[in-house]
Amino acid sequence: MSNLLVQNIKHTNNTSAQTIDSSGRTTAVLNNDTTYRSDGGAVTQNMVQGLCKCWVNYTCISTTAERDSFNVSSLTDITTGQTTVNINNNMANDDYSGYYYTNTDSNTAYTNFANTHAGGFGSFETGLFKHNSYSSTDIDAFQNLSGIFGDLA
Amino acid sequence: MATLKTNTLTGTSTAGSIAVTGEGNSTTTNLQQGLTKCWCKFNGEDSTPSFSDSFNMASITDEGTGDYTINISNDMANDDYSCTHHGINRTFLENADQVLVGSVRIVGRNQAGNATDINEAGVQICGDLA
Repeated sequence: MSNLLVQNIKHTNNTSAQTIDSSGRTTAVLNNDTTYRSDGGAVTQNMVQGLCKCWVNYTCISTTAERDSFNVSSLTDITTGQTTVNINNNMANDDYSGYYYTNTDSNTAYTNFANTHAGGFGSFETGLFKHNSYSSTDIDAFQNLSGIFGDLA
Repeated sequence: MATLKTNTLTGTSTAGSIAVTGEGNSTTTNLQQGLTKCWCKFNGEDSTPSFSDSFNMASITDEGTGDYTINISNDMANDDYSCTHHGINRTFLENADQVLVGSVRIVGRNQAGNATDINEAGVQICGDLA
């Protein structure tokens, strides 16, 4: 096998297209016009549009606290059963889509997890979104799972 | 930091399958399978509902009070996909019994369970794109 030793691969107009670091690695920064070939291979689609821009798993029992998250700066306990999720890198607008599921229970059981009456979004802003965990009344829940999809700023 | 600039990602062995290393550095996962294939946000209270923003969604068919068919642009490979959604202010969406490769039908409901139009509704689909 032959070795090609380079540090930069450039276009003929001298723009650097790719740099190889001293460990021989490239760290991918994919631009927002990057497309991917679909699972079935029939079409290509934009990749960045398909990424979940922010997700969180948190509890509201005793203290509102996240267990894990991505692109979330903090949680704000508004009042019983109501929480603000503050986004780290803001969305471009408030037209994003998402999901939110809550067990509306202080226990670990997923008793009410399939009950779609169990909670929903309160509002959407570029830098935050609000959750409302409720069944017959607002309730601080043990399980709160959410994610959003849309345009990052 | 080294940067890889590219416009299209295509697998070499299988065009529609690219592995990425997980956050824990111990496993790889499939890039295509992890992407959301369609999402949208719309106002279901409009006389002719339309998307305020969307990705790979073509149009909305108003089927009646709180009843919407969301039409997909590039079809899914099968009807075994996962569909999540949301309403706002104590309204929610649920899947109706019409899940197709090119569309999904959903119904908005209020807390009492009655069909209702929803002014900020969202839908997301994960699964195999055709």
